[in-house]
Amino acid sequence: MKRLRSFAPPVLASTALALCLAFTPAGSAAAKDLLTIDLVNEPSSLDPQGQWNPDSYYVYRNIFDNLVTRDNEGTIVPEVAASWQRLSETEMEFTLRDDITFHDGTPLTAEDVVFTVERITDPAFGSPQLGQFNKIVKAEATGEYTVVLTTDGPYPVLLPQLVKLSIIPKHVVEEVGDDAFNLAPVGSGPYRFEGWDRGVQVTVTRNDDYWGTKGEFPTVTFRAVPDAATRLANLQAGAADLVVTLDSDQAMQLENSATAKPLIVQTERVGYFALNSTKPPLDDVRMRRAIAEAIDKEGIAEGILAGGERVVGEMVSPAHFGWVDGVDPFPYDPEAAEALIAEIGEPAKTPMELATSPVFDQRVVQAIQQMLTDVGLNVEIRMTDMATWLKDQQVEDAAAPMLTFSRWSCACQDADGIMFPLLHSSSGWSRWSSPEVDAALEEGRSVLDEDARLAAYSKVHDIVKEEVPIIPLYQAAIIYGGNAKLEWQPTANESMFLNRMSWAE
Amino acid sequence: MGRYLARRLGQALVALFGVMTLIFFVQRLTGDPTYLLVPETATQADIEAMRASLGLDRPLLVQYGAFLADMARLDFGRSYIQNVPVIDIIASRLPYTLQLAGGALLVAFFIGVPLGVWMAVRRGHAEAKGFMGLVLAAQSMPTFWSGILMIMVFAVWNQWLPPSGAGGWKNLIMPSVALGLLSMATFARVARTSVLDELSKDYVRSARARGVTTGRLVRRHLLRNASIPVISIAAMEVSQLLAGAVIVETVFAWPGLGLLTVQSIVSRDFLVVQGVVLLGAFVTILLNFAADLLYSLVDPRIRLGGTS
Repeated sequence: MKRLRSFAPPVLASTALALCLAFTPAGSAAAKDLLTIDLVNEPSSLDPQGQWNPDSYYVYRNIFDNLVTRDNEGTIVPEVAASWQRLSETEMEFTLRDDITFHDGTPLTAEDVVFTVERITDPAFGSPQLGQFNKIVKAEATGEYTVVLTTDGPYPVLLPQLVKLSIIPKHVVEEVGDDAFNLAPVGSGPYRFEGWDRGVQVTVTRNDDYWGTKGEFPTVTFRAVPDAATRLANLQAGAADLVVTLDSDQAMQLENSATAKPLIVQTERVGYFALNSTKPPLDDVRMRRAIAEAIDKEGIAEGILAGGERVVGEMVSPAHFGWVDGVDPFPYDPEAAEALIAEIGEPAKTPMELATSPVFDQRVVQAIQQMLTDVGLNVEIRMTDMATWLKDQQVEDAAAPMLTFSRWSCACQDADGIMFPLLHSSSGWSRWSSPEVDAALEEGRSVLDEDARLAAYSKVHDIVKEEVPIIPLYQAAIIYGGNAKLEWQPTANESMFLNRMSWAE
Repeated sequence: MGRYLARRLGQALVALFGVMTLIFFVQRLTGDPTYLLVPETATQADIEAMRASLGLDRPLLVQYGAFLADMARLDFGRSYIQNVPVIDIIASRLPYTLQLAGGALLVAFFIGVPLGVWMAVRRGHAEAKGFMGLVLAAQSMPTFWSGILMIMVFAVWNQWLPPSGAGGWKNLIMPSVALGLLSMATFARVARTSVLDELSKDYVRSARARGVTTGRLVRRHLLRNASIPVISIAAMEVSQLLAGAVIVETVFAWPGLGLLTVQSIVSRDFLVVQGVVLLGAFVTILLNFAADLLYSLVDPRIRLGGTS
């Protein structure tokens, strides 16, 4: 049953459309004056360095420009930085555009980029994103429009991380202070901050002096609508033009609608099943393999989630650097699993806790519990709230849960962001300790040559298939709902760039 | 009267202090918000740095001392998540909660009480029984269902009302009805029981013997006597409306305190939760106090201070 629309043609269509728009004079025949977008919650902060969640960056990535960005195909392309080159293994020089001005009219220069990097990497500032940028040890303006970033070692993931670095104006932040900047952010992006009616909505207006592709909609509001059924009703009633986070049942309702449509994209989130291989009976590779073969990956992706998820056999998705074609998922073979369990005998019946929190799709958790019970294992679901779940995951091996279902996103589309934390012995999340894996992951993190990196990750994929330290399940999809006239291609990195949207009359 | 007021005020302060202490420790027992604030890829050192920047690395009693000192200065602190003063967040949400509570109370009181009185007077008649069934049905319907149903009927199929959110007075109608329906049933039942109770009393029989009409009997005699339970219920319902609007606010995306509370609890935004809980405790204590004062106005037999 293939009821989800393919997403390749819209990519081409919207790219073509974006190109056309780029050559359309600003302000000519605005098709729609106000675009209304329903998020789940309001942004926590519009200071791009003050938070880390989609509801915030959906909004502020339109107010600010990033140092580099990804196009709709996921390729890293210039934004504030027009070009870059490596000066040495640890230094990279960025040449900035000289035609960018902040919304207050001040030009964006190298000083602003340096200030941005220094602020976000200052532990005293306490940015939740510190861990994404703290490999940068120095930022230096070597000219009015040139910046050199120095990392603490060769760091191949620098550019993917810089996709998330929104450039803030030094003079404004220094003048008004962090608190006032948080309340009235000034950026250089295609939309200006207009107002924030707390708890209700954030309004942005088009920056008609923008240096790049201008937005089509003069005004855009982002509203907080926590209930998915209400977001869907808003879309159907025409009160919202774009809504986030629908499920596959709701997408199906939209398939038959004349006024609205589902917009589906495969993200860079990977669903996985983690095993605490330091504790019996999971220290036995036969046990781990039995679990991998007892889980019906296709059944979960197509029968339960049914929103465009893709079963994977490696701990990355095709949206990541590090994806290797041709690594098959673990087969679904309950008979083989039962045979392995019979071989292990009594220890296989040891009660095991499956740690979860309401954030995760409980249908999947319960299905996995059922599949494991069906082959004769003794699995109990242990539900805690998200903060407790996170804390329980980041402890020493002996205290960590036996089984965990989770989804992981590094927001960097690079294998390093998923595989290092989940498989390197030094990480609080990892339940695997192997010099071979550690060495490959360290190589992937510190070698600049792409082929060598890919070979390193390929090696880890093979070890995962062989030793089953963790079970990759699927590449998660995300479903938005849009007005039938809205033209927009959602991307794997879950950004919502307003200047890549248009309205078809 | 003065002594009574002073005593009640003392009790109120003790209760507030108790709530403050309780909410402080209960929240910290539930876990650490730091993990929710950092990305998954954060290392242990990043987590420690975040915890230190929030002041959560200090011993619990030191944190408690600092908290009490802040409270004494009426400083509610800054939200961990939004990084703005808690007092500003609550102040921006409070008007919406008051509007919604007001709207719901209007629906509940002005429909519920007359309905209850009417059902008492018409006791035993088929129409009164039918209405009682309807009232119970209204109370039993879960709001996440009845709310969505209302949105579908009045906003999606017939575009008479905005489906959700805050804005004009039209936005207030559906949430008020959805929230008011729950309390309406309570008001109707209490008013009905209370009026029935009065109807069985001697003065009613003598009034009827004197030829007083039912309408006059209800207006002049019954309502005042039957109103005490309704007033106590009203005090409780108002505090519930302020605190318990969580589901209605979620369904209708109404930006009130209920929604804020849930979001803050989920994200472990301790200081916002503390602020909302303290506000709730303050309002509850105040309303109960007001109800006590009202009793004595309605029924002079209740003497404040307890001396006779």
